Amino acid sequence: MPSPYAPGRYRATPTLGGGARHLALRFSYGLTPELVSAVKGAGGGLAWFDAQLDRPYDATADASLCDWWPDLHLDAATIWQRQVSGGRGTWEVMADYARRLLVRRMTSPHQVHEVMTDFWESHLHVPANGDSQGVWRASYGDVVRRHALGRFDELLVEAVTHPAMLIFLDNATSTKSHPNENLGRELLELHTVGVGAHTEADVKASARILTGWRVDLWRTWEASYSPQDHWTGPVAVGDFRDANSDPDGRRLTRRYLRHLAHHPATARRIARKLATKFISDTPSEQVVDELAEVYLAHDTAVVPVLRALVRTQEFRKAKGQKLRDPAEDVVASYRALGAEVVAPRADDHAANAVLWQSDAVGMRPAAWPRPDGPPLHGDPWASPSRALASMEVHWSLAGGWWPKKGVTWQSPQQWAPELPIEFRDLVDHLSRAVHGRRSSRQLLRAACDAVETRPGERITGDHRLMAWQFNRLLGVLLDHPHHYHR
Amino acid sequence: MSTPELTAPTGSGASCGCAEYAAVSRRGLLRGMGAAALTWSVGSAVVSAAGPALAATTTSTATDGSVVVVLSLRGAADGLSLVVPHGDPAYYAARPRIAVPAEKLLVPDGFFGLHPSLAPLLPLWRAGRLAGVHGTGLPVVNRSHFAAMEAVEDAAPGSTERVGWLNRLLGELPGSSPLQGLAAGRAEVPTSLFGPEPVMGFRSLERTRIAGDDKWDPNGTRVRSLERMWKRSSDPMGRAFRSAMAAVDDLEPARAQADRSAAYPDDDLGRALASVARTLRGDVGVSLVTVDHGDWDMHTDLGTLGWGRMRREAESLASGIAAFFDDLGSVADRVTLVTVSEFGRRVAENANHGLDHGWGTVMLLAGAGVRGGYHGSWTPLGTSLDADVPVTTDYRSVLAEVVAARTPASPTVVFPGFQRERVGAMLGQ
Repeated sequence: MPSPYAPGRYRATPTLGGGARHLALRFSYGLTPELVSAVKGAGGGLAWFDAQLDRPYDATADASLCDWWPDLHLDAATIWQRQVSGGRGTWEVMADYARRLLVRRMTSPHQVHEVMTDFWESHLHVPANGDSQGVWRASYGDVVRRHALGRFDELLVEAVTHPAMLIFLDNATSTKSHPNENLGRELLELHTVGVGAHTEADVKASARILTGWRVDLWRTWEASYSPQDHWTGPVAVGDFRDANSDPDGRRLTRRYLRHLAHHPATARRIARKLATKFISDTPSEQVVDELAEVYLAHDTAVVPVLRALVRTQEFRKAKGQKLRDPAEDVVASYRALGAEVVAPRADDHAANAVLWQSDAVGMRPAAWPRPDGPPLHGDPWASPSRALASMEVHWSLAGGWWPKKGVTWQSPQQWAPELPIEFRDLVDHLSRAVHGRRSSRQLLRAACDAVETRPGERITGDHRLMAWQFNRLLGVLLDHPHHYHR
Repeated sequence: MSTPELTAPTGSGASCGCAEYAAVSRRGLLRGMGAAALTWSVGSAVVSAAGPALAATTTSTATDGSVVVVLSLRGAADGLSLVVPHGDPAYYAARPRIAVPAEKLLVPDGFFGLHPSLAPLLPLWRAGRLAGVHGTGLPVVNRSHFAAMEAVEDAAPGSTERVGWLNRLLGELPGSSPLQGLAAGRAEVPTSLFGPEPVMGFRSLERTRIAGDDKWDPNGTRVRSLERMWKRSSDPMGRAFRSAMAAVDDLEPARAQADRSAAYPDDDLGRALASVARTLRGDVGVSLVTVDHGDWDMHTDLGTLGWGRMRREAESLASGIAAFFDDLGSVADRVTLVTVSEFGRRVAENANHGLDHGWGTVMLLAGAGVRGGYHGSWTPLGTSLDADVPVTTDYRSVLAEVVAARTPASPTVVFPGFQRERVGAMLGQ
């Protein structure tokens, strides 16, 4: 006799096969019917992935993506002048920056590009809060986006010499008499070779190499190179050696940064971070070595590394093992619910309000307070406070209670693929639509618990589920372990 | 910048008698599923907590209700500015612009004195309940914030396990409630509390509810369905869900306490400490708390008594701690607070009115069982650009005294392979 909780099978709602779903979940902010159809249309997971990687970067198209916050086009001096004259503060402009990131992640068809922009913003992390670097932060984000699927050596040179980074890690005011060590150190420890692959003497030399790159803080905010502030004389960082006799050290800086980008220790560090973000919290040394080799063989280009990564057995076996971080959780929830978010006209419109939801779950994008960037592994986010906060945000989204403006939520009638429908089939349809997979016995039982319904119950248009309990059912989908993981 | 409250109309389950069934059901089902420490966060401040036995009742503990609060000064705090060695001439020689003038120091003795911004701590000092131990840190210099923080918080060199010292300490305390270990301030679990013992955390006491478990769900269907989905999940998120569900009802006595955050500085640390005090006043079985306070990485603009980041940060720290002990009332007799920073800063100032990464720093202890005054042994400072504050006291010796004085746990289990040396900063030690 079949179990009363045998799951329904609502085949009319398309799902992806296990491998394609895995790939699409890891390299997107959550499945949507559009993404499922794009993957199917491309001819499968790998074909979709390769097409995302092959797409030439289009800066103009990228800039116009959710270009809903005009202040993000202001230059540094203007942002600052407005703040000191009592206008909009830098932190408010930076809230817009985080909002634009969230909404781009929510809506962009170029999901792999968004995911990799996120990855590099975290690796070369400059917090988007803080008056000083904030004035340059949107421009910094553009640099990272431009190189997100490019070469690390080019990205590193542009990022490290960008005013936002120079300000954040104190290079902007460094002097040759006493070079400030902050950027020189984190460049080695965080951005390139990592702990254990450099010495304190390397840190000092690194800081000396970087002297001269200045920003006129609190006045014009202009970036300049100041040869009189550049420390000259022989420098050595690991096996990098230079006579450093030219007071204009810019070419030296670029040589140095390119050297670091091509260093085998950097290759392993980048490979390990990519594997941790996209494979599992504990990638094998073997896969790290393999990806590092690809990175070096392709002159620090990231696309060949990603192509290799998704073709490893370790990747294929790691389904559903990555916990979504707070921002990923919120964005995936909007996507799963099919929310249509439009340009905001007030603070309580979804495109603005989503920022508070990301905060509530644990963190907004680009807000990690330290230069090491937010954790790529799940453990720190697997906290009871996260569980409570995620449930709270999911609950308000499932009910369409907040935000209500600037967004269209699907009604229960829109969610139901047909009426009447057997409850188990409705749950299966929702599982396919929200989790991208067929329903399980456990999900069906949890759904039955939540709305006090039997699996075989006939759901009609005036059933209490449709009338006033549908949020409870959507709450089950959003608070299921499947939705917390990618 | 203010964060608007979310306004989902989920109602107030706690004030509603009809939520009782769900609560009872959850207690019955989830207790013993292995949930125990509490973490919550407010902006840049992070609080985490863990507690002693929390059985069917929420009082009596094997540790007589002792609470240890670990306040992490993130970013490597300059100990020389907080507890100034005015008797060491190298201090003034190496810091021509940012040294604190000796005549401005508070409660100076022949050698040390407190930064003037620590004035709010004077009542604790005069009561003999505030101590500073100078020259503390990791035994081997480590100038990486991230590697040093991890080493400090794991406190088990040579071990590859990711288990923090507070989680090991939790394992040594009787009881298994998630409320034993509490983290407040941010969403993440701090490294010190991370490990197999369950912990609890929340961002604010008001938010310690399960959304949907409210008066509109008199039959507890929401909680029942959540239990079904998460009870078998063996990954860390599964543990977190079970901790949260096991602990929310038990926090009711804490929520019932008055919110006195208005008496604290209006900053992240103040809000975090206010929520910790409220929870401790509620006597829900918390025994370990972590709070993060983080903007101490002062490469630039550490400044002087007239301006700069040290002045601001020290004042926030001191007023927060002072308000915390005032707020605790009689509970303060059971609470010991200790500060930890991943390392200190160099002796000599740099060209930006700041200080680069150094080694030794100061640890402050306040509250129950503390032997007030200046502690630690001093090695005269150098004045070169590279001069560090030498570490003369392993930070674990200080923490081990707190553990030995205030908990039933064995310091040798909490700090494996470590032989502590007497510091004398805790009474009876």
